[in-house]
Amino acid sequence: MSRKVVLTLLLVAAAGLGVTRFITASDHKDSMLLAGDPAADIADIYTFRSPTNPANVVLAMTVSGFIPPSEASTTFFDPNVLYQWKIDNDGDAVEDLVMQAFVTGTGGHQVMHFRGPAKASELGSTTRVIEGPETATVAVSNTATPIAATRNGMTVFAGVRDDPFFFDLVQFKKIIAGQATSFRNPGVDTFAGTNVLAIVVELPSSMLGGTKLGVWGSTSRPQL
Amino acid sequence: MKRTACRVASLLASLMAIAAAGCQNSSAPITSPRIEASVLMHQQMLQEDRFGLPAIATVFIPTDLRDAYNLGSPSGDVATFKSLIVAKLMAFGQDAASANALASALSPDVQPIDLSQPSNFLNGRKPSDDVITAELHLIFGSNAALNDDHVDANDAPFLTTFPYLAGPHVQ
Repeated sequence: MSRKVVLTLLLVAAAGLGVTRFITASDHKDSMLLAGDPAADIADIYTFRSPTNPANVVLAMTVSGFIPPSEASTTFFDPNVLYQWKIDNDGDAVEDLVMQAFVTGTGGHQVMHFRGPAKASELGSTTRVIEGPETATVAVSNTATPIAATRNGMTVFAGVRDDPFFFDLVQFKKIIAGQATSFRNPGVDTFAGTNVLAIVVELPSSMLGGTKLGVWGSTSRPQL
Repeated sequence: MKRTACRVASLLASLMAIAAAGCQNSSAPITSPRIEASVLMHQQMLQEDRFGLPAIATVFIPTDLRDAYNLGSPSGDVATFKSLIVAKLMAFGQDAASANALASALSPDVQPIDLSQPSNFLNGRKPSDDVITAELHLIFGSNAALNDDHVDANDAPFLTTFPYLAGPHVQ
């Protein structure tokens, strides 16, 4: 069962009971636009100072949640999706820089291309690929051995990984449904044993134009 | 029609790049990156999803506004969604002042990080941060039945080096 189906069931159950939703999972939408579009459905975003180099920052994005082990090597990025981090470095919640990633190729032969960080030609909900050279490229990893590439001080990865998210979603569903009144202890990680598609970029913090940042992720598709 | 034109243009650009590469003299070897045609080139794209803080959209944005939220931008969040967050927090039992303070921390929906300080949720987000328990605490306060899901860590150990995320589960 896909991550989205689980969450949709949860939300339907909650709505049916008139129970206010508290938290479902990290960000697993019941949006009609995203239904059936796991490759564009962002599961999580992570932003953290590099554990291996304090001058670097790490940006990670996961999509396409709930990939079972049987499909780990056969679930791919969508070439029609632009994956972006948007970075505000002056506190106005408007992106000053964007970091873009997109794949070419199909099946087990995809390459992830990176552009930026750079100013975007359009702000907000419409977007275009940044003109100019790519800042990095890397072959998409379909196995447990991660393929990384470094260029311009930037190290990049794209491919299937364990879902880093952890949460006792099953017990939470029971609470929402009125079948339980508390979490269990110890809890059980509903996301254990499942995979996501991940994109990870480590780059010098100086490339982001400030020390205090606001970071968010987005996925976009060509307009029909 | 427009998309077709763009694809043709994109294809032409690729062919020109190939032709240009073929014209290079031997003292200037072709260097990476290879120019690969992407279907996204020269197209305007529309946002489908966005993500700042974990669970915020799912918790606080009503279902009928979810697409509007996904299509929107953080710069519009305070005007559009903050009052909804305050209302929901008050429905959870918080007083107006604390609900307003928390809603201010949650909107706009971006992941704030001060890179001069160690990264710990809500200063950025590391994979190992127990964000769900942190958020349950924010929402349910001292209610011990609901303020911790007692899943404190990932099922697979994170790597200490790039790409930091654990390897996939495979058959």
